[in-house]
Amino acid sequence: MKILLVEDNERVSQFVVKGLQEAGHTTDHADNGRDGMFLAAGEPYDVIIMDRMLPGDIDGLAIVEVLRKTGKRTPILILSALSEVDDRIRGLRSGGDDYLTKPFAFGELLARLDALHRRAHGVNQEGPLTVGNLHLDPMTRKVSRGDRQIALQPREFKLLEFLMRHAEQVVTRTMLLQNVWDYHFDPQTNVVDVHISKLRQKIDAEFDRSLLRTVRNAGYMVTAAE
Amino acid sequence: MIRSSAVSLALGYSVLGFAALILFAFPLWYAWQGTIHEGRAEILLADAQRLTEIYRRDGADALKSYIDTRVRMQIAGERILLLTDADLRPLAGNLAAWPKSVPATPGDYHIQVDMGDRGGIQAAFVHVATLGRHNLLVGRDNRLFAPLEKRFWYGLTGAIAVLSIAGLSIGLITRHALMSRVHSIQQTISAIIHGDLKHRLPTHLTNDELNTLSRTINGMLDQIEMLVHGVKNVSNSIAHDLRTPLAELRSRLEELTLIRPPDAQTFAEIEGAVADVDRVIRIFDALLRLAEIDAGMRRSGFVPVDAADLAATAVEFYAPAAELRNIALNFHSEGPLPVSGDPILLAQALSNLIDNALKFAPENGIIDVAVQRRGDGAAEIAVTDNGPGINDAEKVKVTERFYRGDASRGTPGVGLGLSLVQAVAKLHGNALELQDRNPGLRVVLSLPAPQAPYIGM
Repeated sequence: MKILLVEDNERVSQFVVKGLQEAGHTTDHADNGRDGMFLAAGEPYDVIIMDRMLPGDIDGLAIVEVLRKTGKRTPILILSALSEVDDRIRGLRSGGDDYLTKPFAFGELLARLDALHRRAHGVNQEGPLTVGNLHLDPMTRKVSRGDRQIALQPREFKLLEFLMRHAEQVVTRTMLLQNVWDYHFDPQTNVVDVHISKLRQKIDAEFDRSLLRTVRNAGYMVTAAE
Repeated sequence: MIRSSAVSLALGYSVLGFAALILFAFPLWYAWQGTIHEGRAEILLADAQRLTEIYRRDGADALKSYIDTRVRMQIAGERILLLTDADLRPLAGNLAAWPKSVPATPGDYHIQVDMGDRGGIQAAFVHVATLGRHNLLVGRDNRLFAPLEKRFWYGLTGAIAVLSIAGLSIGLITRHALMSRVHSIQQTISAIIHGDLKHRLPTHLTNDELNTLSRTINGMLDQIEMLVHGVKNVSNSIAHDLRTPLAELRSRLEELTLIRPPDAQTFAEIEGAVADVDRVIRIFDALLRLAEIDAGMRRSGFVPVDAADLAATAVEFYAPAAELRNIALNFHSEGPLPVSGDPILLAQALSNLIDNALKFAPENGIIDVAVQRRGDGAAEIAVTDNGPGINDAEKVKVTERFYRGDASRGTPGVGLGLSLVQAVAKLHGNALELQDRNPGLRVVLSLPAPQAPYIGM
């Protein structure tokens, strides 16, 4: 992916650029609103990471608004130290696609960038999903692995569907809370892990290869890889 | 003093009073004068006609003697009579000479006449008639009406004086009363400005404007005091509760630089440090969320929500965790239960309540989550556990920020869970109720019905 990072804090920028590089992405960095606007408007990026508060007279949300008004549809992830729900809503309303509060774990950022990129590239939204020999059909709401039907509770189905839509991609606990339960807060417990292990029992227990894996310090991933 | 609103108001009313008085008095005066004038003119005309009749019937001499008789019989000099010849020489009557200001032509005149020893110069109203070669003057002096007129003017002046004095004194008294109350309000407020938030404005039992205002301001002060108190508490608690993980973090990092252990151990320590930082961040997030709720900013986010659905989701969310500990997590509902509220905050409050119940319920315990419509239309969400419960002394404290009861030692959490539920309940217009279940605790969160959205504090 080609990513633009607009962020004025040097430390955070270095950390993000380096991390993205290691994950195999190329990153351009602007440390002020003017350069950020210039780059965002001129270059084709897959995803833009935009800090809300920038030095100078152009702030992050203003750039997002201008980009959207000029017809740029590049997915934008807004980074901000403001965590209040209203700020989050304002960020998304101005045209951002996702919102991440500082401080954040790098795994969370990476997972969200992947998700944004994939969503922008119009991954099949309605059709059946397949990972390895695991099949999920959103229309008939049937799940099978190999030739065995698997019965799932509605929420388990939603959880698996989300994971499979983001197959081969790390999905964080926060992403699961927001997308599966619509919980925009941190329940401060390991309940998500319990749900995952229940789901894992249903889809992986009697097979020798586990498709639903835990990614240490980051989240979970459904993958067909060895 | 004119600047005082009370005095200027009283003066304004006085001026209005003068105007009303004058508007009333002058038409009256005018009508009165007209009526008197007309009446006198008629009487004089009748007099003159009667005298003319005598002159015509019996001649000038008869009239002369008649006039003499009349003059002699008169006691007061109210009537003026004078008969003269063609050259205006007096023949009979009580005037020494024909008044210079009166022409010898018939008509009505206002004049000053010299009544000699019977009153000196008097204002008079006279009628002049010509009888053949004689001139007749019939008049009445105005002394009769003078006392009446005088009384009228005295009355008017008196009324104006009373009005002015009353206006001014009412103004001054009101001003004094108002100033003394304003002064006491000022004193209270300046005490508050100097930081003593305990003061309240004096109020009386009456319902006047100042009292209503004072009561409203007192309500505002209560809220401010509570918020300031809350902020003070929170700052103290933050200082205490953030210091602990920060101190751990610091010593962990310092130790690393001093000891320089092998790589594997170093990385393990660094991961521990990140976890410490995450803990600090979580506390911060919880505090910010609380501050946001306290500030009442989220009330704009109120929408109709189904409380039963929110509760069902929360129960379902925690079900696997309950199952793991063999706790029966039951859900009772009578179908959709619409309320007006903030879905994100309500979900978080419910999740905190169930999370708490799970923490305190014993192994193989029972937790009931019940959603029902109360008689008054409010929705009631009750979470009941059969854990150790909370004694009365602790009930007040559990909703305080960072408070952790004895029972919660050794459980994860920072002591903000119930504070948040309490804040959410308050934002939705209701307090949180903690009831004993012997054993166990029943926590009740009530929410307003959507038809009557909660307005104001």
